[in-house]
Amino acid sequence: MVLVAIAWLLPAVWVLVTSLKLTENIVRVPPEWIPWPVTIAHYGEVLFSSSRTARIGRAFFNSTVVSLGSVAVVVLTSAMAAYPLARMRFRGRSLIFGLLVGSLMIPNAVILVPQYVLVQRLGWLSTYQGLIVPEAAMTFAFGVFLLRQFFLTIPSELEDAARIDGADPWQIFTRIVLPLSQPVLGALAIFAFRSAWNDFLWPLIAVNKPDMFPLPVALALLRGAYAAESYGPIMAGAVLSALPLLIVFLVANRRIVEGVRVSALKG
Amino acid sequence: MKPRRPRRRGAFTPYLFLAPGLALFAVFRVYPLLEGLWLSFTNARLGRAQHVFVGTANYARLLDDTRFHVSLLNTAYYTIASTIPILAVPLLLAVALNRGVALRTFLRGAFFFPFTLSVVTVGLTWLWLLDPVIGPSTYYLRAAGIPVRSWLADPNTAMWAIILTTVWWVTGYYLVIYLAGLQDIPRELYEAAALDGAGGWRSFWSITMPLLRPVFLFVLVTHVIGSFQIFGQVFVLTNGGPGDATRTVVQHLYETAFQNFFHFGSASAMAWVLFLIILAFSLLQFRLLRGHTQY
Repeated sequence: MVLVAIAWLLPAVWVLVTSLKLTENIVRVPPEWIPWPVTIAHYGEVLFSSSRTARIGRAFFNSTVVSLGSVAVVVLTSAMAAYPLARMRFRGRSLIFGLLVGSLMIPNAVILVPQYVLVQRLGWLSTYQGLIVPEAAMTFAFGVFLLRQFFLTIPSELEDAARIDGADPWQIFTRIVLPLSQPVLGALAIFAFRSAWNDFLWPLIAVNKPDMFPLPVALALLRGAYAAESYGPIMAGAVLSALPLLIVFLVANRRIVEGVRVSALKG
Repeated sequence: MKPRRPRRRGAFTPYLFLAPGLALFAVFRVYPLLEGLWLSFTNARLGRAQHVFVGTANYARLLDDTRFHVSLLNTAYYTIASTIPILAVPLLLAVALNRGVALRTFLRGAFFFPFTLSVVTVGLTWLWLLDPVIGPSTYYLRAAGIPVRSWLADPNTAMWAIILTTVWWVTGYYLVIYLAGLQDIPRELYEAAALDGAGGWRSFWSITMPLLRPVFLFVLVTHVIGSFQIFGQVFVLTNGGPGDATRTVVQHLYETAFQNFFHFGSASAMAWVLFLIILAFSLLQFRLLRGHTQY
């Protein structure tokens, strides 16, 4: 089993090894699995002096802004929406929740064109908000579902006690419910970060200024910017794009797995 | 911070909490869905300010659009051909991991890791691995005496290279779901079966498989819905080639709307055809799940 797992990781190892090799060693056959001499020249090239169409350093910054922005919007709006859906009684509650869950079945590809028309009309093409807001909207319904499941498990005595002490609903939400929900909020944040960081199709059409490309788009264009045999810079870009989630994943492995498990129950 | 109107405030509170999220949802999910339906009955184009109702002309044109038919067929072929590996590989790994091997968290992490990558990163990885001249897979296969062609340039193998790439990418995700399903099966069932003399193989078929049925259905339907929207892998690995051998529906939609014709009406019609196909599968899932969840 350990051997299978190592074999499973070999493609990723090969990418890392390639990114650290001198260009003349990359093309050498048979494949060499130890990059010697080691060089970080490819990283320097894609970060600082790459082609006009695809600057990975700039794209890294764009992806960071877009992903963190989308996380903030998703966590705030989903938490606020999930709270009354879990803890209050009001007209239209099951209708709203049903619509949100049903919308999980709307494929992103299906609303691609009208979403483009909308964002164009707003003047948001090639802007951060033009990426952040639609990305957040894609994850919102899932976030409500995930958080509502958790809010349902919070004992109502805590809220009752706060209400008797004179707290209004907003204070109960921010001072009691949210602090108790940190693990699930973290899981949602990671999920939202991953979706925004890795999304390709929407930024591919919503951004047409090279300075605004996020990483997946810049990487896909990097492939065209270099001749086929110069895999070094492309693989360096691939490693850079994998780094943030790799770090999150190493730190919060269990939380991510929990998030996946809950997402599986949504169907 | 004393509330001024305690009675009436209570009635509006839930809606105030819901307002920002529902606004986001209505404007960026519901409205585009309906706008897309309207566009599919118009002659809208990129950059054309006005568009008019043209009835079902866009749908009628899809009936004659042979490239759309090829895309649909390719997408269906990809979906069907990838189903067995996508169902089986994560299941085998999950069953093995569930036996309580050492380093389980590490192993699960190793299989899950590719799923944290973007489709572009995954595509570039396999583009390099499968490079017909200097890619390592080419070298090792040749060394093992297997004749190697250029996988991605051969219409017979290009789709399989895409399937291989996808399996590597998503196996970790389904593995986690299978593991959760396996852990819900009571251990006593296996113990009782062992007492009755059932071997490992027998209990796998008589206990594991039937009790995993809801998980199977979930994986199957998630996979089918995802497969009908496949785009990124194709865009990076083959760009629909060689010829149109790996052209998929979403790629055709993307090119119709944003690359070649800028024909939003026709692309929206494709989108709705795709949506109806996916919807049919989703409804099928609900029916099947309803029939089988009680045990």
